[in-house]
Parts: sequence; C-alpha cells; structure tokens
Amino acid sequence: MIKVTDLKKTYYGKVPVHALKGVSFQIPSGQFVAIMGPSGSGKSTLLHQLALLDNPTSGQILLDGVDTAGLTQGKAADFRLRHLGYVFQEYALISELNAIENAFLPLMLLGMKRKEFIRVSTELMSKVGLSNRLHHLISELSGGEQQRVAIARALVNRSKILFADEPCANLDTENKGIVLRLLRKLCDDLGQTILMVTHEPEQREFADRVLWLRDGMLVKDESIDKAVREDALHNGYRTDVSSDPDYLKDN
Amino acid sequence: MRNIWDDFQAALFLFYKYVTRGNKGTVVLTVLVATLAFIQINLISGILSGAVGLIYDQTKNNYVGNIVIQPGKDQWGNKETYITQVDLLKRKINAIPGIIGCSSRYTTGSVIEYDPDKTGKDIRTISWPVKSINPDDEKRISELHNYMLAGQYLDESDRDQIILGREVSGGYGASLEVQSLKGVNIGDEVTVFYHNGVTRQYTVKGIYATVFPLADMTVFVTQKEMESVLGLRDRASEIIIRTDEAYPEAYYIQELRRAGVELQDIRPWQDFIGLVLGIVQSFDIIKKIILFIGLIVAGVTIFIVIFIAVTSRRKQIGIMKAIGMKEGIIVTSYIMLALFYAVTGIVVGIAVIEFVATPYFIAHPFNFPMGKVSLLIVRSEFVTSIVSMIVVSIIAGFIPSWRVSRENIIKAIWG
Repeated sequence: MIKVTDLKKTYYGKVPVHALKGVSFQIPSGQFVAIMGPSGSGKSTLLHQLALLDNPTSGQILLDGVDTAGLTQGKAADFRLRHLGYVFQEYALISELNAIENAFLPLMLLGMKRKEFIRVSTELMSKVGLSNRLHHLISELSGGEQQRVAIARALVNRSKILFADEPCANLDTENKGIVLRLLRKLCDDLGQTILMVTHEPEQREFADRVLWLRDGMLVKDESIDKAVREDALHNGYRTDVSSDPDYLKDN
Repeated sequence: MRNIWDDFQAALFLFYKYVTRGNKGTVVLTVLVATLAFIQINLISGILSGAVGLIYDQTKNNYVGNIVIQPGKDQWGNKETYITQVDLLKRKINAIPGIIGCSSRYTTGSVIEYDPDKTGKDIRTISWPVKSINPDDEKRISELHNYMLAGQYLDESDRDQIILGREVSGGYGASLEVQSLKGVNIGDEVTVFYHNGVTRQYTVKGIYATVFPLADMTVFVTQKEMESVLGLRDRASEIIIRTDEAYPEAYYIQELRRAGVELQDIRPWQDFIGLVLGIVQSFDIIKKIILFIGLIVAGVTIFIVIFIAVTSRRKQIGIMKAIGMKEGIIVTSYIMLALFYAVTGIVVGIAVIEFVATPYFIAHPFNFPMGKVSLLIVRSEFVTSIVSMIVVSIIAGFIPSWRVSRENIIKAIWG
C-alpha cells in the first residue's frame, strides 16, 4: 500500500522549480499503475521521491505503513534494499558484473549465503527468460535482455514495490512488448505492486490504473478496463508471437 | 541491519570484479608506476644507506673501533694526558663477554720531514700527530693490516720503522695533496721531530690505504718505540675496543664501567664521525626527499586512476546506492582497488630489489671515494616505505571514492 499526501518537491536554483505541487493518492498492494504526463510534468520526480532516491520538500509518503520522512540516509538505503525495486530508463547495470551477478547483488548485500542467492537469482533469471544468458557480460546482452536483468535485480529481494522509470524508452518494439508483458505477468502472478513512468499512451494499456500529471499536479486518475489490459497483454507491441520467450507464451 | 562482514564481502566482490573485468592495461600501468615508485624509493635509499654503512664500517674497522677509552679528569677537573695502568685495564676489558679485543695507542704531536734527494733542497715537512700501536693487539681491533698498499705492516719488535697512510705519503693515488709528504716511497727515510724534543729517523716500512680519508691520514710507529720516545711505560693516549656488536655500544660501555673502568672517558665510535656526520645527515635528508617524492608519485598516480574510475562510474555508483548499497561498501571497494595497486607494486618491487637489484649491485658496486658501495636495505626504512605506500594508497583510494559516493543519487545517475 502506498499512500502519498500533499507531496511537494521544489528544486532550489537561481529560479526555484516547483516540480511537484501537492500530489496525493493511494495505491493498494498488487496494483500496476502507470504514471503519465508530458515532459516536465513531474513523473520522474514523483517516482524518485516514492523510491526514496530523493527527499521531498514537504508532504508525506507511507510505504506499507512506514513514514519515509523519518528514515535516515542509512535506513533509507536499507529500506530500498529490503523492500523496493527500481528499474531505470537506461539499462542501469554494473558493467563489470555478468547478468546473474547483477541480479544477485542485492541478495549479497542482504547477507544471504552464496549458494542460496545464486539459486534464487538463477530461478528469477529463468522467469525473465534469461536462463541461457546468466554468465554473459552486460555488453554481450541486447537492450531488452539488459532491461530484463534490471527487472530481475529489482525483484530479487522480493521487493514489495517495483518502480520502473520509462523501462521501455530505449527498446525496440519487440523488446518493449516483452518487458511490458513481463511486468503485467509479475503483477498478475505474484501480486507485485508496480509504478511505471511512461510517456507512450500505448503502454498505459498494460496497467490497471493511470495517474496523469501536469505541471507537478495530479490531474487525472484513470482506471484501465480489464478487456483493454487483456488485449494489450496479447497483442500490444507484438511483432511476432513466436519471438516471445517461452515464459510468456503460456499467456 | 546488515553486518560489517557482509559489507566487507560485498566490497571484496566488487573490488575483485573491478580488477578481473576492468581494463587490464590500466591495472598493469598503475601497478607498474607503483612498482617503479617503490623501487626508486628503496634503491636510492639503499645506495645512500650503503654509503653511510660504508662510512660507519670504515670508522669502526680502521679508525676508532666500537668504543674509545680516553684519559679521565684529574682532581682539579683538567683532562689527564694519559691513561694509567693500561695493562691492568686491558685485562679487565678483555674479560668482558662480547669484547673481541682492545689495543692501546699513544698519540703525540710531531713534525715529519722528508728530504727525497737528501740534499736539503727539496725538504717536505708536515705537522702531524704520530700514533703508536701494538701490532698484535691492533690486528684484533682493526683491518689496517689488510690494507697495505706497499711494503709491510709493523712488527712488534720494529723500532726504526714507520708506516704511513696514503694521504700522508702523498703518493700511490693520494687525493689530499695539502697535508702530505708529496711522494714518499717504501724504503725512504723520514725524520720525525716529536714535540717533546726527541728526534728520530725512520724507514718507511709500509704505506696503507683504507680509502677512508680519516684513517689514511695517520702515521704509526710501534708501541715500544713510542714508549722509548716519550719515556713512558704502561700508559696510553687511548684504548680502542672492538665488540662483537651483539648489543649497542651503550651496553658495553655500561659493562666497562661495571668492570672497573671508572675514571676514564669512554665514548662510542659515533662521537668520532664529526667530519662525516654532515655527509650522513645530508644522505638522510636526501632519503627523506626521495621517499616523499616517491610517495607523491605513487599516491598521485593511484589517486588519478581511482578518480577516473569513480568519475567514469558515477552513474554506476548512483545505481549501486539506488539499490540500497551503503556508501561505505562503495568506498571500501575502491580503497581495496587502490591497495591492490600499491600492494602489487610493493610485491613486484620487493621481487625486483631482492632478485635483480641486490645481486647486481653486489656484483657491480659503486666506487665511492670512501670505498665500494653496494645496496644496503635498512629494515626500518624498508618497512617505512611499505607502510607509507599503503597509507598513501588508502588515502588516494578514499578521497575520490568518498567524494563521488556522497553525491546525491539522482545527480550521480543523471549528472
């Protein structure tokens, strides 16, 4: 459950920029929410505040009942590690690590035994369709594969909330479809709460709900019809059904 | 909260991947610079230490031994001219464990005259002290007898024979022309006018050269001859003592006092290197400068490498923090990387010094004016250079990684 109350964020420079001007909403657990709006509307800023990557100027964020304002820098880092997952716009992976090493890094930070974190991350990599790419270096993976590694890393700690900041921005149509179907599947199968920033209207059809932002304010809260979602799941961004990885074909 | 061991393991994992999957050329070049800096520090320091060691050895072997006993003060506080009851003192000294031997010497002022063609037209005169030795005792405390350039060393029974240091003779490659007889040879006769009015004529029996100027500016006759000149017996101007060097000189001085050498002035050899002390002190300063420059070179190189590494990985560091990695883990991983460069450089440097430089300089020592100088690695200086390199590398790894890891996550990721 995410509860945001009167969230404000101002960037103080020569001219103060009010990126968020009092945003309030609630997201129940297991919901896939798309955040949309034009450039400069505050989408990414909102996601940064929710994912504890930045500190809001004022307002309250409750993540599963935890008031994040009271977290010190170290505790916020620990909270991110244990409870949150973040998928960046660009394939934000560590180039010196191979695919599975990137995926198991959060588990290693959590102090899990090596055997165990390799088992867990291998399973997850298999779920995102990368069981045959475990030991490939990041430079040897395609954009879509890299983004799936990033998703695996974001989920490996069994995060309660997955934040995705334009996860398909740099992907081709085929990989966009793969990543969006994967996110949808995570929500449907695992009950994963997902907040995804996107500026492509077509992508919102994969979500349960869309929060529309404009000039730092929430201007519309839209629910997506189940039929639209189903259609997107089966046909959205699909160029060739046979190109889908096996793990998505059962849908 | 996560424990320190987990954090350390995570930092170790990242460090290992930086090295094994990072740019190999950068690793090799950085290690090379660290190696060269370490070698430079220790090689030059080692050569300078070798020169200082040579000075010390020459002083002990050919000049004043380890300890010098000189006359004490009389009841009015004036320094006595001679040590008395020398035979008894020598017996006491030789009974102390660790004392290799002792030898008493007389020293008296004189004017030495050399008339090469005996015509009186080219008389060469110097004012120089003459020392006496007991040749047998002296062989136990000095190496002088091994440095005869020409002729022979003194025998105990010699009365009209004299041996000269090369610098006094002025020949055989002497370099200090000012105070010399300008070319005395073996078999030549010299006349010695002692300060007490006695005049003696001696045949030059031998000329020695230790290549230590202080030792090579001395003239020796036998003890018996000097006692005859001075009309004394059982006295000495000084007693030279050699120890086994198992303990510092201060220990043996204490033992000498305990053994009954109470009234005399006892001094360690270090008190007699005043002339070369300036050289030793200058060498010490040079060594410190070399250490400082070497550390700066190594430190700045490692700093730059780490700085470039963290700057080029700013986004990556931001991502690491975004997934919940603590700043400490990131900083520790880069300190480990800096330590890896330094420690590998040190290890390679030690191997080069041990297996290449040291054997080479033993086989091909430098010819210094005071003798042949080889590499002398002083343990304390060696350890200091290792510890300093490690400390500098920790600082060089810490500062840039700490600065970047403290950046705001968003700023680090998006610039």
